[in-house]
Parts: sequence; C-alpha cells; structure tokens
Amino acid sequence: MNILKFFPYIAKQAWRHRVRSGLTLAGIAIAMFLFTAVQAMRTGVEAATTATANDTTLVVYRKDRFCPVTSQLPQDYQRRIEQIPGVVWAVPMKVVVSNCRTSLDVVTYRGVPKDEFIREKSDRFEIIDGSLEDWKRRTDAALVGETLANRRNLRAGMTFDAAGITTYVAGVIRSKDPQDHNVAYTALEFVQLAGRDQLGIVTQFNVKVEDASLLDPVAEAIDDEFARAQDPTQTFGEKAFVARIADDIVELVGFANWLGIGALIAVLALVGNAIVLSVQSRIAEHAVLQTLGFNRQLVALLIIAEGVLLSLLGGALGAAAAVFVAHYGSFALSVEGQSIPIAASWQLLAVGIAVCVALGALAGLVPAWQAGRREIAACFRAV
Amino acid sequence: MLRQLPFEYAYRNLGRSRVRLVASVLGATLVVLLVLAAAGFVRGMQLTLTQGENLHENVIIMSTGSEEALERSQIDASVAGQAIASIPGLVERGGVVYASPEINIALPINADASDTTPRQAVIRGVRPVAFLVHSAVEITEGRQPRPGQDEIIVGSLAATRLGLPDDRLAMGNTLRFDNRDWTIVGRFRAPNTVMDAEVWMPIIDLQIATKREATISAVVLSLDTARFSDVDLFAKSRLDLEITAMREAEYYASIAAFYRPIRIMVIVTASLIAIGGLLGGLNTMYASFAARVREIGTLQSFGYTRPAIVTSLTEESLFAAAIGTVIGAIVGLLLLDGLAVKFSMGAFALTLDAPVMLAGLAGGILVGLVGAVPPAIRCLRLPIPQALKMH
Repeated sequence: MNILKFFPYIAKQAWRHRVRSGLTLAGIAIAMFLFTAVQAMRTGVEAATTATANDTTLVVYRKDRFCPVTSQLPQDYQRRIEQIPGVVWAVPMKVVVSNCRTSLDVVTYRGVPKDEFIREKSDRFEIIDGSLEDWKRRTDAALVGETLANRRNLRAGMTFDAAGITTYVAGVIRSKDPQDHNVAYTALEFVQLAGRDQLGIVTQFNVKVEDASLLDPVAEAIDDEFARAQDPTQTFGEKAFVARIADDIVELVGFANWLGIGALIAVLALVGNAIVLSVQSRIAEHAVLQTLGFNRQLVALLIIAEGVLLSLLGGALGAAAAVFVAHYGSFALSVEGQSIPIAASWQLLAVGIAVCVALGALAGLVPAWQAGRREIAACFRAV
Repeated sequence: MLRQLPFEYAYRNLGRSRVRLVASVLGATLVVLLVLAAAGFVRGMQLTLTQGENLHENVIIMSTGSEEALERSQIDASVAGQAIASIPGLVERGGVVYASPEINIALPINADASDTTPRQAVIRGVRPVAFLVHSAVEITEGRQPRPGQDEIIVGSLAATRLGLPDDRLAMGNTLRFDNRDWTIVGRFRAPNTVMDAEVWMPIIDLQIATKREATISAVVLSLDTARFSDVDLFAKSRLDLEITAMREAEYYASIAAFYRPIRIMVIVTASLIAIGGLLGGLNTMYASFAARVREIGTLQSFGYTRPAIVTSLTEESLFAAAIGTVIGAIVGLLLLDGLAVKFSMGAFALTLDAPVMLAGLAGGILVGLVGAVPPAIRCLRLPIPQALKMH
C-alpha cells in the first residue's frame, strides 16, 4: 500500500484545521528546540570527557588543586617528566582564566613554549584566519580558538583584553579538540610575566605517551617522581581531567537530560492531543471512507500519517532552530579553564527529526486503533 | 447595561468534563511551578551576588587585573598595614581598625581520607576583624577558629556546596584538605551572601597550607569618614604594589553580570516550557469551545451579548487556572522556597519573595486568560442561525 499517494488528503486534513495544526506545530517546535539543545550540550560533554582508545595525553596538575590559579608547578619539572620511560614529550602550560566560575563567556589563556607547541600540535589544528608566522614573531600574539573568536568577533590583526591581559590576535584556529575551541594560545613567558612572581611557574604539563596502554603506568610514575617534592603532582588522562574539573557542568547536563525527556513527553502529548481532537471531529468522515471501501488498516494508517506529518514539520522546525542557534551562537560552558562546547551538528538535526517521526507515529497509534475498529453504522449514528 | 451570564453558569460548566478540568488545573499548576522555580533561581542568585548594598560601604583592595575574580588576586601581605597607615577615616571601634586581610581560594575538600568524590568549596582565610567588616556574618554555633589548631568554621550552605548532608558538618566533625583533618569548631550564617557557602579558617593556617606566606588575596576595608576616592588614590599612588580598589557592591555586581547568560538560559528555558504548555491548553480550549457553538448560539438568541459570553467563557477558564495557580503557589512555597542549590564555586537558596510570587501568580492567571479569550472570540464568529444549526 503506497501511503504517499494519500499525502494530499493528509495535508488537506491538517490544513482544514489551520489553528489547531499551527498551535500543535508551534508546541512541537518548542519542545524539539529544547530537546535538541539539551542533546547539543550532552554531545559536548561526552566529546570533552569520554576517553577514547586514541587518547595518549596526560595532564599533570598540582596535587589537591582545582582552579588554575592555585595549581603552581615549577617549570623545571618538564625535564624530569621527559626522562620517564614511555613519555614522548611534555609541554609546560600556564593557564589564566578570566574567571574560575562556570558561565558561557569565560576567556582562557594558555601560555605555551611556541616552538614545542608548533612541533607537537600544529598538525591538530588549521589556521582559518591570520598566520602562524605572525604568532611566532610577536611576543604578545595569540592564536584564538574559533568559538572564542566568533563569540567575541575577533579577527586576525585585532587586539583584545581579558583577565587583565591584552593580546594581539595573530590567527584564528579550527581544531577537533574541544579544549582548543575556546582558548587563546600565547607565549608561555608572556602569560607568566602577566602574573605576580610567576616566571618559571606553570599550571600544568600536557604529556604525550607512546601508547594508550601506557597512560596509567606513566601517570603513576610521574606522581611517584614528585611525591616528596614541595609541589607534589596529580596526573590524569586528559578527558578524565576535564570530567573532574567540569563536575558542575556534568551535573547541570544530567539535570538537563530530564528536561529533554520532558520535552519528548510534551511532543507526545501535543501530537496525541491534536490527533484525538482531529479524530473526534471526523467520526462521520471515517465512516464515509470505510463505506467507500477504505479498509480499517488504511483509515488507521491515514490517522498515524497525520500525526507523523505534524510531528515531522514541528520537529524539523524546532531541531533546525536549535542547531542554527548552537552553531551561530558559538556557546561553550567554561569552568576553571576547561571548556565544554555546546556542539551543533547536522547529525543532531537528523536525530531530532527521526525521534519526531517515531513520536508522531506513537502518538497516533491509540486514536488510529480506536477509529479503525469502529463499526460504520455506529459511526453514522454517533453524529 | 451589559447583561452578564450568572457566575454559576461558568463554574458549573467546569464539571462537564472532569478530564479537561483536571488537565487545565494541572497545566496551570505546572506553569506556576516553573515560573516560581526559574524566577526563584534568578532572584536567589541575584540577591546572593548583590550583597552589601544595604550594609555600610566596604571597599576591596585587590591585585590589578583580578577585578573579575578575587580568587585570582595576589597582593603583598603588607598591604593591609600600609592601607591602615595611609587611609584616614576607616571605621575604628575599641582600637580595632576595620581592615580585613583575606585569602579567597577554591580548594578540593573531602569528608575524610577515604572519600574520593571530587568536592570543592571556597575557603576564606581570615583574621578576627573579618567578623566586624562582614557584618552579615553571624556565628550561630561554636566559636571563631584559632590559628595553629587545624580549626575551621562552616557557612550554613557549605554542606550543599560540598554535596554532603548538613549533619556531616556538625560541630566537632572534621573535613579533610591539604592531607589533614580540620575540626569544625563553629557554624555561621550570612544570609543572601556568597559567604554562606564558604569555609572560614585563620588566614595564617591557610597561608601555610597553600604555601603563600607572603601574599594574600585582598584587603576589605570599612569606610567611616573616608571615601572610596581616598582608597582609590592610595591604590593608584602605590604603583609598586600593583593593586586596585573596588567597591564591594560593584565587585559582586560584576560577578552577577558574569552569570547573566546562565540566568537568561534559565528564564528562556522556563518560558519555552510554559509557552509549550499554553499552546497545548489553547488547542484543548479551541476544541472544547468549538464543540459548544450551538450552546453559545442559543445564549446569543436569549439576548446575551458577545462580550458577555466571552466574559463567561473566560471566567470558566480563569476559574480552573486560578485553582491551579493557588495549588502551584502553595506547592512552590512548601517545596522550593529556601531550597539550597549548588552552583559554580558556591551555593544559594531559591528565593520566593513577593516579586517572585507575583510573577508566578501572574503566569498562572495569564494561562487562564490567554488560553480562553482567542478560542472564545473565534467560536462567536458564526451568525446565530448558523450556530444553532451546528452539531
């Protein structure tokens, strides 16, 4: 049975009750906007905190510290870390954040030794504005992550000020690593000199190990090496480190997940309500259809298809709006120098639409079953 | 004179469909609860961060470039003494000048050595003068902590901040950080301030624990005859100290501004859910009133004017919404008011004060009003003869 040939009939039914259909579509669009926005947050959290088999980076932090301001390690730990078997390289990093609190507009500076940074990381990002040469040339130059650049309208050649540091934007970078999206990379000494007595002091070391299986043993070896030092260390896998810091955000997203489930229930209720109202007002019409030879399954299918149509249109509208807002808003939740991007993608839109189609069909099932099993004579008498 | 339908007509109609009545009441209750939760969140956060506006004027001296976050500030420990010596007109009582050197730092804290859950709170290292400068702070149990004894006192929302039950932070219990246990010797409250979620301890102990003996975060000054410009002049004239002066109220206002996107997100989310509920309600009302076109035509033929019928239908909807609004307001007051929320380096209590309650009540009534008027007007569009013929 080709249900598509009945599409004009289904569309006309929705059009006949324009106000009802309009209200239902608007309600579904709002609910799907919320659902997709929550999914975008969840995707961002997963990308930033879930370790994969390809992860080979450790973060060495000052033991018992959270905020970058309080994690202070001597820069000369680098040499000792690099001597530990299994370590490929260690990059010292000085992190300065405009605010340790959680919000959507935190600026994070990462001071890094330029040559080492280019050598070890330049293959992981592309420069979409400005040049790497410019960054190397100027002491106060910054490579700005795409999300931060979009949010603050930054372009190569501009200067910007945050956390009491003024920098020149030498380039804007695009990277797959979520932690590169919302930061400004500058020269290590430049960030160190911006603080009080901070020359020779770094916040953390990012350590590359030879193989993912070496993450735990190397982490243990590093912490053992500095266990009795004045500033003992605590070493984490990069994603685990973000998960530890972003505890508040993970909790927030966990709560938002319930909101997403609530939004789906709202879609179900809205479509169900519209279909029930529609079926109630068309009892006689369905009897006529059955008299004309439409079998019960076809009548039921037409009702389900109406639910799917409403759900599909409203869902596509809401999900597309959420993806659009997330994409062009360049939002990222930041906490203590770690960034959780609110990730917009076309896959998210596809998931939203697929979920809506399923919910539309589900919402139409009961009214369709009820309408399909009514006796023709009873239907005419009921009117 | 407009002939109105009796009020009984409206409320008796409510009983015609109990399912619809329950749905309308529940819908209004939900909208009111959402508005109260969102507005209470925003209000609680706002009140916590705009502290000090009704207290005597305090000024904070911090390091330049740290105006956005005190936790980032590091100034020379001698600044407090230099400020007292250089700025005449600070509050002085019984020979004590109201100048409080402090360290503000966010550190991981555990319940005990076996606790591996990551928890963190803002710890404030203080001297006794801090209790004079911060007049909102009131010790409710125990006493001030003594230096060198590994003692701390905790704010009334510190347990929420740490994700621990309140009785875990009872007097005599310990918390663990910097590899040792610290005994709770007092509890304090500082309602509607960030301090309520903090842990306080002697500044000297915190300096040793964090290995920053030579620096502090800030000096908080209470002004008597001195003005802000006097402190500002001191800060600007001492370029060697790299310090800046900021009114306490302004500092917390800037933190409040920092959280603005989060507040907007909360309001937008609650509004979207409320609008979704309203659209569902509108749909039901359209269907409900459309099924009563013949009845409405009959009322018109009895001489009732369109405005009178719209008023009666609106009364009907408003009555159901009002029941939901009252239920929502009572449930909100019982469950949400004062509910402690952990958020980003601190904690605050949801505040359901008069403006918030008014917003909740207005939201519920609006649902009844907006949900009824457009469908009522729509089903009155038909001419009376045609309406009477409708099935």
